[in-house]
Amino acid sequence: MKSPLLAALALCCALMARAADSYTLAVIPKGTTHEFWKSIHAGAVKAQRELEKEGTKVRLFWKGPLREDDRDQQIQVVENFTSRRVSGIVLAPLDSQALVNPVASAKQSGVPTVVIDSDLKSDKQISFVATDNFKGGQMGGDHLAKLMGDKGSVLLLRYQVGSASTEAREAGFLDAISKHPEIKVISADQYSGATRELAYQAAQNLLNRYGSKVQGVFCPCEAVTVGMTKALQDRGLAAGKVKVVGFDAGEQSVKDLKGGDVQALVVQNPVHMGYLGVITMVRHLQGKPVEKRVDTGVSVATRDNMKQPEIDQLLNPPLKQYLDE
Amino acid sequence: MANEDMGGIKAQLRRWVQVGGPFLGLVLVCLFFAFARDEFGEPARESIFKAGNLKIVLVQTVVVGIGALGMTLVIVSGGIDLSAGSMVAFCSVLGARMIVGGSSPGVVVAVAVLAGAGIGLINGGAIAAFRLLPFIVTLGSMSIVRGAGKWLGKNQATSIPNDSGIAMVMKVTSPETLFPLPHGVWIMLALAAITAVGLRQSIFGRHIVAVGSNESTARLCGVRVRSVKVAVYALAGLFFGIAGVMQLARLTQGDPTVAVGLELDIIAAVVIGGASLSGGSGSILGAIVGALLMALLRNGTSQLGWANYVQEIIIGSVIVLAVGLDKWRQGRGRV
Repeated sequence: MKSPLLAALALCCALMARAADSYTLAVIPKGTTHEFWKSIHAGAVKAQRELEKEGTKVRLFWKGPLREDDRDQQIQVVENFTSRRVSGIVLAPLDSQALVNPVASAKQSGVPTVVIDSDLKSDKQISFVATDNFKGGQMGGDHLAKLMGDKGSVLLLRYQVGSASTEAREAGFLDAISKHPEIKVISADQYSGATRELAYQAAQNLLNRYGSKVQGVFCPCEAVTVGMTKALQDRGLAAGKVKVVGFDAGEQSVKDLKGGDVQALVVQNPVHMGYLGVITMVRHLQGKPVEKRVDTGVSVATRDNMKQPEIDQLLNPPLKQYLDE
Repeated sequence: MANEDMGGIKAQLRRWVQVGGPFLGLVLVCLFFAFARDEFGEPARESIFKAGNLKIVLVQTVVVGIGALGMTLVIVSGGIDLSAGSMVAFCSVLGARMIVGGSSPGVVVAVAVLAGAGIGLINGGAIAAFRLLPFIVTLGSMSIVRGAGKWLGKNQATSIPNDSGIAMVMKVTSPETLFPLPHGVWIMLALAAITAVGLRQSIFGRHIVAVGSNESTARLCGVRVRSVKVAVYALAGLFFGIAGVMQLARLTQGDPTVAVGLELDIIAAVVIGGASLSGGSGSILGAIVGALLMALLRNGTSQLGWANYVQEIIIGSVIVLAVGLDKWRQGRGRV
């Protein structure tokens, strides 16, 4: 007799909470110190402020793994917030496999998950909100072709075996270049390895062989862009003699863009990613339909357009506006 | 007369702290979470003190807890093993590669656990044969074993199917209730019971304590100190191997970069549990409670949404507090 009554009471409470339209979300990045994640955080706060204005109260927990890049610790964070019964989790999984079971458990407990940044090998998430890396690679390829006047030879220095995001960028680049018949890809099978130093060495080796024949290079990430630019500078091929299109905006590559050694950077929009991650989750909680895949957009930044406000925002994200640190 | 009474009470208090210290810590942490509030001013006790959450905390304790069993033996014998985290990673990679290669779960567990014991045997052998400092030997093997794991895993994580037999060991089902607990938790508790009894009742266990209390006296009393040391590190390796299998089950992948710094968590659990780093004393039950306490601290502060640095500062303070308590109760012997 007692328990149905309690259940009814709980239901009433739940309905009242529903009517008040207030949610508690846990946003779980891969780490908390890197600028990329701070931008995601800023975007989440931006979404929270906008939702507040339309009358939806959102409380955000921002919590990364205790040790940066430690998969087990990230699993613990997901489990702990599942236990807390937050309304929803917005997660950037450190691994496409290791986080599958925790997300499934969360769903079983009635806590939905939106995945951002990197994909999860699962069908339990509400939506995947991230950069379309293939499209980014295509845009980079088209821009490089334009810079080269639609003819010549290009190099692609790949990043690392097994890195899904950069592999998609590389594939996108090759796809775009294949539509420019006058442009020849003279090397696309070399991998740089994870660090700038390794990328620098790999670029030196490549340029040693192809330096005199190449007119353009594509670099699928920050480390490769920086390493390749250094190698080009060493050989006197920088400052536009060989056109460089890189990916991602880091401190050094933005400097190189300003200095003219890098002609263009394909940049993601992490602020928008954090923003759309939270918005997508809240829309789902409000019972509205959401897309299974949300593209957060990529843009091409060049020396000419880098002062425009919308590009400047990508190169120098407005963290101060949203984060009090 | 009154002074004697005071002394008696003090001694009793000390004895009580020795046995109950870790439990007292656990109670204090629980009290703390009963009143703590999150950044929005709301308490989280409803979710922290829920049966389902207790299950989560227990599951999060398993890897550190099983590691702490081995580490307690090592620390009681007067040594230290810094290669624990690397061994956990190595054995998880080994297990994952074998599963992908088509081996049956039983074979995988046996080989991974024996590999851990083998590495421990080498550690112990080097320490005993050349009379080297355990700190230095295991500092070396920490790096060697980590490297070997990366080599074995070809520098990347090896994924196993989510529904493979091994992964089921740590799978959490029925999130609302305490039972059924995942097998991993039962395995940890069973191993703890066996080790506790072994350390207390068996001749080998008494020898470990003797070696840790005073090596030369133990030798004079006819304890084969070197054999005891080799056996202790091999046994510890065995436990780290089991912890590695648990880590594999939890991640559903063998990741050579996992468990960096795990040895420090394990040592902290053992110390919070009342072991003395100078050897000769330690408690298996205490170590498990220590591991539980740290998992609960992380779990609770997480649910309160507190920043990571707060957690780190709290856990560090608890460790120092535990060592301080240890010093205080040992003070009795010296007076």
